[in-house]
Order: sequence, then structure tokens, then C-alpha cells
Amino acid sequence: MNDLTLMSKNLWRKPVRTILLIVSITIAFLILTLMLSFNHALNNVNTLPTRMVTLSKINFTESLPIAHYDRIARTEGVAVATHMNWFGGYYQEMPRGFLPVFAIDPETYFQVYAEDLQIPAAQRDAFFNERTAMLAAAPVAERFGWRVGQRVPLRSNIFTNATTGADTWEFTLVGTIPTPAGSSQTGSVLIHYDYYNETVTFGRDRIGWVPFLTTSAQVNDRVANAIDQRFANSQDETSTQDEATFNKSFAAQLGNIGLVITLVVGAAFVAILLIVGTTMALAVRERTKEVGVMKTLGFSSDRVLRMVLGESLLLSFLGAAFGVAAGAGLLSVLAAGGGGGPQISFAPIVTLWAALIAMALGLVTGLPPALQAYRMRIVDAFARR
Amino acid sequence: MATLLDQINAVTALNVRSIPQRGWMSAASVIAVALTITVLLFFLALANGLRATVEGSGSEDVAIVIREGSNAELNSVVTRDQLAILATGPNVAQRNEAPLISGELLVIVDGVKRSTGTNANMPFRGIGQEGLALRRGVTITRGRMFNPGTNEIVVGAGLLREFSGFEFGQTIRIRGSDWQVVGVFEAPGTVFESELWADIAVTQSLFNRPNVFQTMRVQLTSAAAMEAFTRWAASDARLEGLEILSERAYYARQASQSTQGFMAIAWILGIMMAIGALAGALNTMYSSVQARSAEIATLRIIGFSGWAAFFGTMVEALALSALGGVLGVAIAFLAFNGRTTSTLGSGFTQLVFKFDLSPGLVITAIVVAIIIGLFGGLFPGIRAARQKPQLELAAA
Repeated sequence: MNDLTLMSKNLWRKPVRTILLIVSITIAFLILTLMLSFNHALNNVNTLPTRMVTLSKINFTESLPIAHYDRIARTEGVAVATHMNWFGGYYQEMPRGFLPVFAIDPETYFQVYAEDLQIPAAQRDAFFNERTAMLAAAPVAERFGWRVGQRVPLRSNIFTNATTGADTWEFTLVGTIPTPAGSSQTGSVLIHYDYYNETVTFGRDRIGWVPFLTTSAQVNDRVANAIDQRFANSQDETSTQDEATFNKSFAAQLGNIGLVITLVVGAAFVAILLIVGTTMALAVRERTKEVGVMKTLGFSSDRVLRMVLGESLLLSFLGAAFGVAAGAGLLSVLAAGGGGGPQISFAPIVTLWAALIAMALGLVTGLPPALQAYRMRIVDAFARR
Repeated sequence: MATLLDQINAVTALNVRSIPQRGWMSAASVIAVALTITVLLFFLALANGLRATVEGSGSEDVAIVIREGSNAELNSVVTRDQLAILATGPNVAQRNEAPLISGELLVIVDGVKRSTGTNANMPFRGIGQEGLALRRGVTITRGRMFNPGTNEIVVGAGLLREFSGFEFGQTIRIRGSDWQVVGVFEAPGTVFESELWADIAVTQSLFNRPNVFQTMRVQLTSAAAMEAFTRWAASDARLEGLEILSERAYYARQASQSTQGFMAIAWILGIMMAIGALAGALNTMYSSVQARSAEIATLRIIGFSGWAAFFGTMVEALALSALGGVLGVAIAFLAFNGRTTSTLGSGFTQLVFKFDLSPGLVITAIVVAIIIGLFGGLFPGIRAARQKPQLELAAA
């Protein structure tokens, strides 16, 4: 019988108690997994240090004249620029069918977001060559059951189509974009700006914002200043910032999510720490006599300490493993179920955090009773009732 | 019957008085329940405060006109012609022989969130001359109202508390023109306090939206006049595609859209944490039953019933969880009740509101705590009641 067998025998001598402890640890790690994955999805969109964006200085919902685009693209230090416009799109009905549809300039867009647009060349060319073509993030196409080659009517809650007088445009789905965790294309639907611009009744020749790549991150500040200076005091002043800064301020609009997550996860773990800590202390106190027997039989104090600590670590890691697995499972079920919300996928970084926290939890809850067992003298162990 | 009650009282007293013997474990389960309740109340109070602010903004006797199917004001369009027709409707209140109406346009401008220093969406609303009269409970507390036809802005006090960039007296440059903040208004507990207001005509021209209105507000002579007004509008083909409803109904709809997410988070997290806390409570109670197995056995032998043992355990569990519940409510009151915060509302602009712990929420919290206690006492209580007295004493 080795120490590990002895530890797990000790752990399972009161199965109900152990199961209850594992349940509460599992819950804490489940909350940790969900919260961290959410935070990760919100904050860890792929960014490039050289990718910047020019927006209206008033607010990103204000449009810019298309003429701005050429001037930005020609600014020294800009490698390639593209432009995007918010279409206000939805499929069939709001709010269920809400979609982030962007009217874009295909060829430059594929250069600026090259790393997230790895799709078959045939699909890419089909998108470039057909004005009414559309690309959709793979999970979006899957959610609505769209097949490549299918014609899809999309509606806009902002614009009106001049050719039909209605708010509907028809597009042909020519390909899907795979969106691994962190992809900047998560959830998006891409359509041609030219097609949109020629058929729209108002807001013609206006664009939403201009993403671009600089030749090197070192010139970012200089480029931003040059662009914003260029349009200063005009009707359409601009604000140019790097992508990461913009994403951060966008996320901050929802509220101080980071703080809320820290507090909630903190609350869950403080509760679990107390429950597990006091129960472990009780469990070892109940076994005082056994510790005396073990020491009498020649178990060293070190070995006794290791065994109690091992038991609490085992408990903590079991709960953590169940919690992370349950969280990952729940997230994949939610992702498959669709819904209008943002797609949140399991963030692998959670595993690392969970392992570290499980280690800390195991040590903190196990150390006091382990030390008590370590210091216990055989005489006292047998004297106590 | 009296004897059973006496027995229960005796055993309960025994249980409750022996709580300090399991002090740390009992405290742990009390705190676990308290933290569960605090987390639940955090999100419920957030949702409640948001809902109260949005719902509290509307009047029964003001009609709001938007484009049918537009989810938010931002996507709505009402033409100048439609505005003129609506002004002639039945039961439209008059002042100085002019209808009390306001055609409005909402644009979004950047403000800076004080707590993070990041840009945030501020609602900048162009309102008609009667826009202020149409909103009761709004008072200018500093400076004055903007003068029609000028680049002047008044700012809501709530917005000022959370965001910078629009302080009283400041000049702001938007689209090449200077705007002056000439007044601060208060409208306690409404969405209006999170807004910036300026003259509609100036807003249209400076934001390059000539003659565009998104919404229209119409003051009716009474709340009862709403039905006649909407019926009249529905019969006019020129008003087709417009939706007319009372401001109160409009904001109630916005409120449910904005709060759904927070309510879902509250209950998902709350239930998860409650399960964790329940596991803790069960452990504590099983330990309690086990620690007192000799006493329970003795009591059974001298004639106490199993029910007494059951209720003793149950009352102990309920006492601990109720204590946890009260502690959780107390933490919620101290930590966040009444605090001002802001989030992105359904109109895609920031909305300033206060965490609001209503009596209903406090009751909900206590009920949740008691449910944890009930389940936490049930199974250990059954075990206590079923103990075989002779066996337990022999083991001891």
C-alpha cells in the first residue's frame, strides 16, 4: 500500500462529505471558467501592433466621407488601408436574427485582416468577383443553416434599398470564414461596399471607419497625428488610435467588467476556501488517534504531513478538473445552441489559472491540519478524545 | 402534542447552544451563504436600478412617435411632414395657442468615463422648443436653458457625475463649431439625466442631418386621450409605418430589453453559488449530527421522538442560513446599495443609474437563504432521526 492509496482511502472514508466538498469546489471552478472565458472573449481579440483605425472624432457611430479614405491610404507610414460601414443588418427578425454585417472594400480588407481570413482561394476569388457576394463567419452560417451558393436576404434596420424601396438586400453566400477563439471576424458577415453604396437611398459615399496597417509600430503615433491633423477643423474631424486601445475602450463601455469578475470569482473562492478549510481541519482532528498509531508504527512526521497535504491537494485538483470540464462543456453547449449573444469559447488559459488556483487552494486548506498532524506527539494523540 | 413541542424546543436549544463548539465550520457555512446572497443581490440590484430608472422616465399622457420596428431611437425616422400632421391630432395639449410637441434627433458623441479615462457613448439630443415642458420633473439647477437657434447645450447632472468633457461653462468643438455648456439639469431617477440637450434645428444642421427627426413627443390633454390619438393616427395613410405609444409603455419596453441580461446573470451565478453554499451547509450539519450522536442517542433512549431530533437539526440549519442571509443583505447595503454606475443602455448610449435594493429583493434574498437552510437541514435531520440509539451508544 503506497501513500497515494492511503491518501485516497482517507479521502473516501466519508464519501458523502468528500462528494459535498468536491461539489462546492467544482462550482467555484465552474464560475471561474465561465467568467475567465467571457473576459478572455471580450479582451483577447487578435490585434496587430501595426493595425490602427481612424474614426469620427465625435463618436464611432458618426460616418466619414469616402474621400477621407484615399487621403488616409496615401498618408506616409500607412502600408494598406481599408474601410468599413455598419449595415445594421439582421436576418428575418430582430432581435434574434441580429448580425454584425459590414459593408467593406474586399481586396484591401483581406490585406488588413489577412491573418483571420484564411479561406480557400476559390471562395476568396468568388467573393472578390461578385458584387452581390457575401461571406459569413462559419458559426453564423451554421446557426441559420445557410449553404454556400445560397441566396440570403438580409434586412437593414437603418438603410433602404433604392432598387426595391424595401429594407431588404439579397446576397449570395460564397464562402464561410472559420473563426477560432480570438478571431477579429467572430460573428461577422461581410458584403461589398460598392454594391451597398450604389443601391442605398441615403448616406451614400459615407463610410464608418478606416482600419489600416502601418509600416511599423514605431511610426504609429506619427501616422495618427498626421491623419488627425489633416482633418482638424474640418466638418469631419477624425480620431486615430491603435486597435487594442479602441477595443479596450469599447469593452469598458459595458462597465468595469474586470472588477466585477474579480469580485464574483473572489467571493466564490473565499466561500469555498472556508468550507474546505474547516472541513479538512475537522477531518484531521477526527483522525488524531490514527495519526498517533501511524507515528507509533514508524511513519515519519514529514510523511504524515505529506499525506494530509496530499489529501487536500487531491481533493482540490479533483474539484478543479470537474469544474473546468463542466465549464468547457457548458460553453460548447451554449455555442452550439446559437442565440444572439456573443460567441464565447473556452479559453485554454483558464486551465493554467485553474491549476494554479487549485494548487493554492489545496495548500492553504491542507497546511494548517497538516502542520497540526506534523507536530502532534504520540502521547497527546492517544490522550485526546 | 405539547410533549413533542417541548421535546423539539429542548433539542433545538441543545443544538443551537452547541453551535460554538463547531464554531469555525458553522461560521464557514454562514459566510458561504452570505457571499452567495451578496453576489445574487449585486446583479439583482443592478438590474432593478436600471429598470427603475428607465421605467421612471415615461409619462402616461405623453405620446412618443417612432418608426415601426425600429429597435432603438437611433434607427427611427419621422419626417417633417408627419410631424406637422401629428401636431393637428385630437387632444393635443396647447400652450399659447401652439401645440405642445417636440420633434427630436439623437446623435451619439464621445464623453470620457471618469473611472477609466476611456471614451464612452453620450446621447446628444436635439429637442424642440417645448421639449423641456414635455418632461416633467426636470429642473435647471445651474445656469439656464439653451436659447433656441444657438450652439448651446444643457447637460444632465447624472452624466456629469460619471463622465467628463461637458462641464458647466465649457466650450466643446464638434464638427468645426463651438458649443457652450450653459446649464445643468436634474431629473432624478430618469434616463434624461444621462443626456445632453440642444436645439433641434441647430443639431440637425451641425450634425449634417437636415430635416431629419427620429422621434416626436406629443403632450396630450390627459392619459385617457392616448387611445383616441393613436386611433386617429392609424386611420391616416400619411402616418403609415409609424408606431405611437405612451412614453411610459415605450420606456417599459426599453427597460425589459436592458435588464434581461443582468437578471439572467444574477440567477445563473446565484443558483451556482447557492449549490456550493448548500454543499457547505450540508457538511456542517452532517458534522453537527455526528458530533452529537451520543447525545441524540441518549435522548432517544429516554423517550424523545425522532421528530425532535429532526427538528433540532433543521432549526440549527435554518438559523445558520438565515444568519448568512441577513449578513449577505447587510454587506449588500454597505457595499453597493445606492451607488451610482453606468452601462450601455438599449439605445447604445451610456445610462447612469443607481444600484437599488428594493424590499422585494431583500425578501427574495432571505427566501433563497432559507431554501439553502431547508435543504441543508433536511438530509442531516433525517439521519439524526433515524439513528439507531443502541448502536450509537455502543460505538461511543
